Amino acid sequence: MEFKTVVFYFLSAILVYAALRVITARNPVHAALHLVLSFFSAGGVWALLQAEFLAISIVLVYVGAVMVLFLFVVMMLDINIDRIREGFWNYLPLGAVVGLLMVVEMGAILGSQYLGAAEAQVPQTAAGVSNVKELGRLLFTEYVYPFELASVILLVALIAAIVLTHRGAKKTKYTDPAKQVFVKAADRIRVLQMPAEKQD
Amino acid sequence: MLENYFPILLFILVGIAIGVLPIVLGWLIAPNRPDAEKLSPYECGFEAFEDARMKFDVRYYLIAILFILFDLEIAFLFPWATIFKEIVNTEAVKWFGFAEMMVFIAILVVGYIYAWVKGALEWE
Amino acid sequence: MMDMLQQFIQGVFGPAWPVVWNLLKIVAVVAPLLLGVAYLTYFERKVIAYMHVRIGPNRVGPLGLIQPIADGLKLLLKEIIVPSGADKWVYLIAPGLAIAPALAAWAVVPFADGLGVANIDASLLYIMAIASMGVYGIILAGWASNSKYAFLGAMRSAAQMVSYEISMGFALVTVLMVSNSLNLTEIVRAQDHGIFAGMGLTFLSWNWLPLLPMFIVYLVSGVAETNRAPFDVVEGESEIVAGHMVEYSGMAFALFFLAEYANMILIAALTSLLFLGGWLSPVGFLPDGFFWLAAKMSFVLFLFLWFRATFPRYRFDQIMRLGWKVFIPVSLVWFTVVGVWMMSPLNIWK
Repeated sequence: MEFKTVVFYFLSAILVYAALRVITARNPVHAALHLVLSFFSAGGVWALLQAEFLAISIVLVYVGAVMVLFLFVVMMLDINIDRIREGFWNYLPLGAVVGLLMVVEMGAILGSQYLGAAEAQVPQTAAGVSNVKELGRLLFTEYVYPFELASVILLVALIAAIVLTHRGAKKTKYTDPAKQVFVKAADRIRVLQMPAEKQD
Repeated sequence: MLENYFPILLFILVGIAIGVLPIVLGWLIAPNRPDAEKLSPYECGFEAFEDARMKFDVRYYLIAILFILFDLEIAFLFPWATIFKEIVNTEAVKWFGFAEMMVFIAILVVGYIYAWVKGALEWE
Repeated sequence: MMDMLQQFIQGVFGPAWPVVWNLLKIVAVVAPLLLGVAYLTYFERKVIAYMHVRIGPNRVGPLGLIQPIADGLKLLLKEIIVPSGADKWVYLIAPGLAIAPALAAWAVVPFADGLGVANIDASLLYIMAIASMGVYGIILAGWASNSKYAFLGAMRSAAQMVSYEISMGFALVTVLMVSNSLNLTEIVRAQDHGIFAGMGLTFLSWNWLPLLPMFIVYLVSGVAETNRAPFDVVEGESEIVAGHMVEYSGMAFALFFLAEYANMILIAALTSLLFLGGWLSPVGFLPDGFFWLAAKMSFVLFLFLWFRATFPRYRFDQIMRLGWKVFIPVSLVWFTVVGVWMMSPLNIWK
């Protein structure tokens, strides 16, 4: 067996195990951590397919950014596991149907690979060609419109995030030290001349 | 290409080993005499009340979401920046290649200005 | 003679030879690195002491030179405490998660032309991806400890690190634009020619001068990213004692310490490679070599220590404002300026 194959099975085993633990772990933080591990090993599998840029991007974007948000969410919303498990049997039929549909879909896609083409075509990059540069060339010539659309989607996501989570500036009362320094006595105190009242 | 990645795989494994070994060593060599007081969480000498894992300000989520969006943007910039010199040196695509990235950036700057005006970047 | 020796050694190990050879290379990087980390702590205490008109460590060995080793031994002999409410496994994994990325990033750092463990096309992207994983060690340590100080520290650090990663990313992208490659070796090579280099003044052709705002943004973001003073609200001892590390002791604590200093050295190496010409000599008549890279890294590391001795700690809102409202606009503007500059006839990066 080639060394590459050994690495592939090693990474895949970790990937499958981590993915299983994502759905079986009782503690949501543990589940999120296993998801991180599975993204990382997926990145490794992509690197084996010579998709250098994608492999590193999945680590950069998913592991480095998306999962940090996930961890934030599961750490800080104190989730009551017993309450979540309450509805398990009620939701089971619906969940099973959705799960089955997904299995069928994935089977159709993966199956067609095996039935149609003998082997998945892995584009072989020549030794001196940089993966990222080729990707850049394609992205900025052939796929310009999807690329610009991506920025619009990012904009929509940004606005949605702000609208959903931002509650407006908090009404906290605080003093600005910079302004305090420039206060003069005349701004604060008014000296009045009061005529003495008559005593009678 | 893959043979260049082999040392990296090894390096990651070595890094993990260096992360694990000292703890194992410390576990073996150092004494281990726990007691209830020693194991209680540090709270300036007070008895700890309630769970430490509390709910947190929503602004932290917002920062994380904004970070994801900008990080994605940078991931898009990387392939463009690596070929920018070639774009500049090719007369035919020079302005096209420059303009498309400026449009991309401009759309995101709109989002950035929106976040600023809405006060999402405030932190007082 | 050398060939025979090489063949003999290869014969002994057989097919395992590439593994052994690469492991040797990795040890040749990691061992000096860890030694450097140990002596950086000593150096830090000495430098800050002299800036405070004190003497600093001087008891263990001549000039206190064995101090870091004594510290390490002491930590090794201390009990590793796992607090009662802690999530034991996550608690013990967290220090490893902090140090592993800090070391793994070194895999692609070149030390001189063609001298490094691995040389991949996308080395800069790799470093950015691996460095972005450093935040996990801190978040998990804070969460697993089940202590309020640790949790607060972890949340602060996560928010701070992600904020400065964006401006760092923009600085990197701008460097890429002028160097036309993601490979760190190529990025250094792109800095050895230019108008000033032609006159023998290579150091004026390095990236720091034309990309000066980016250089500053990158350096300051690097300080923030490693949670160093004046951006150390994460572990500010007068506010939240030691942040995510408050419950850690013994070797588990030592690993966080090592990770912080390894990250500092990494940032220093990257700053030297990206902006200060790496192993290139500053003037035309001196030879290039690893010596120059080491000198530049020492300079950047000295800046880190100097900052700590000079600046008072920032408030958290000031840190966030600096990251989001100053650095991001500055880096966006300079990114555009460099783009226009390269499009114009005045382009100096032909």
